[in-house]
Amino acid sequence: MSENATITLELFRYHPETDSEPRYQSYEVPYDEDWVVLDAINWIKDHVDGTVTHRWSCRMGVCGSCGMMVNGEPKLTCAAFLKDYYPRPVRVDPLVNFPVERDLVVSMDGFMDKLEAVKPYIIRDDVNDTSQGEYRQTPAELARYKQFSMCINCMLCYAACPVVGHEEEFLGPAALALGHRYNKDSRDQGQSERLEVMLSSEAMWGCTFVGECTVVCPKHVDPAGAIQQAKAVGAQEFFKRFVMPKGAGS
Amino acid sequence: MSAGGGGGAGGGAQKGGGSARPSGEAFWWALFSAGGVMAALFVPAFVIVTGFLLPAGDEMVAAERAAAFAQAAGWWPVKVALLGVITLSLFHCMHRIRHLLMDVGMRRYAGALKLPCYGGALALSGWAAWVLWGI
Repeated sequence: MSENATITLELFRYHPETDSEPRYQSYEVPYDEDWVVLDAINWIKDHVDGTVTHRWSCRMGVCGSCGMMVNGEPKLTCAAFLKDYYPRPVRVDPLVNFPVERDLVVSMDGFMDKLEAVKPYIIRDDVNDTSQGEYRQTPAELARYKQFSMCINCMLCYAACPVVGHEEEFLGPAALALGHRYNKDSRDQGQSERLEVMLSSEAMWGCTFVGECTVVCPKHVDPAGAIQQAKAVGAQEFFKRFVMPKGAGS
Repeated sequence: MSAGGGGGAGGGAQKGGGSARPSGEAFWWALFSAGGVMAALFVPAFVIVTGFLLPAGDEMVAAERAAAFAQAAGWWPVKVALLGVITLSLFHCMHRIRHLLMDVGMRRYAGALKLPCYGGALALSGWAAWVLWGI
């Protein structure tokens, strides 16, 4: 490979205040096999075109900010190596299924509303003050939800899910997995509150178990598995309420 | 962004007026789920037994085996079990077809699709019951 090897990046560009429609812009970027797509976009922004707008922060797969479509697949750009695409060009789009705010930046508002709707925090009937110590948990109780707590809210699963694309009421993989994570937490007492939201018509049942959420998840959360488990809980709850219409508490 | 830090947000964005109406979809999903177990475990076993093992080997022995199997199917607990496998597998299949149709663009007919899909599963189950009754 020559010292001056380059790779072409085609970036989705859209500035709503000046552009009537989106376009692609190509950039030649020095090729380095240690570089990831995010390095290349940062290089463009620093050396060629400061108007390119994108989100990023940690560069190490922890913050969940740099999710974009890389050659049509939802990826963390900090974990997508140029060497896996070279010498072909790399096309970078904003995450699909989200409204575009500017260039590679999407609006997260709808996603945040859905996250909030599943009440992703521990709910208690009683609140002990700290003098009584912490709510203790065994390793087995931790293991029941730990995998589902690894989500970094990168939204790749929303870009991968076909149901998110055409069913607005569907809460989506990350939010449902997170709701399920708290339902499985031995310290939590909020399952019935969450199920009110999750069991309403298409919120969870819209999932047709395509499973792409789990395929693209960079943290191996397995949202598809979480949703199937949550559906089983939901079905039990449905029959419980059918048998005991009034007293269906927790 | 921390996933667990939203405690102060007060759980606002609830849709549908926060009504406590669980969807009937839970019922269809339960049938789908039970049918999935049937279709994945029992149906292949039936195919192997009736399609390959029963007719295997010497023709006369195979014929005797098949006759014994047919006799077992005349016993009512076997009939009930067979009907269970067939009915749940049908509901599994039709639920999947309904959601497939929704995925390919018929989502707005989600409600209307219930009639041909689940009605079809019910009708075929009725036919299976009638055939089993006659054995």
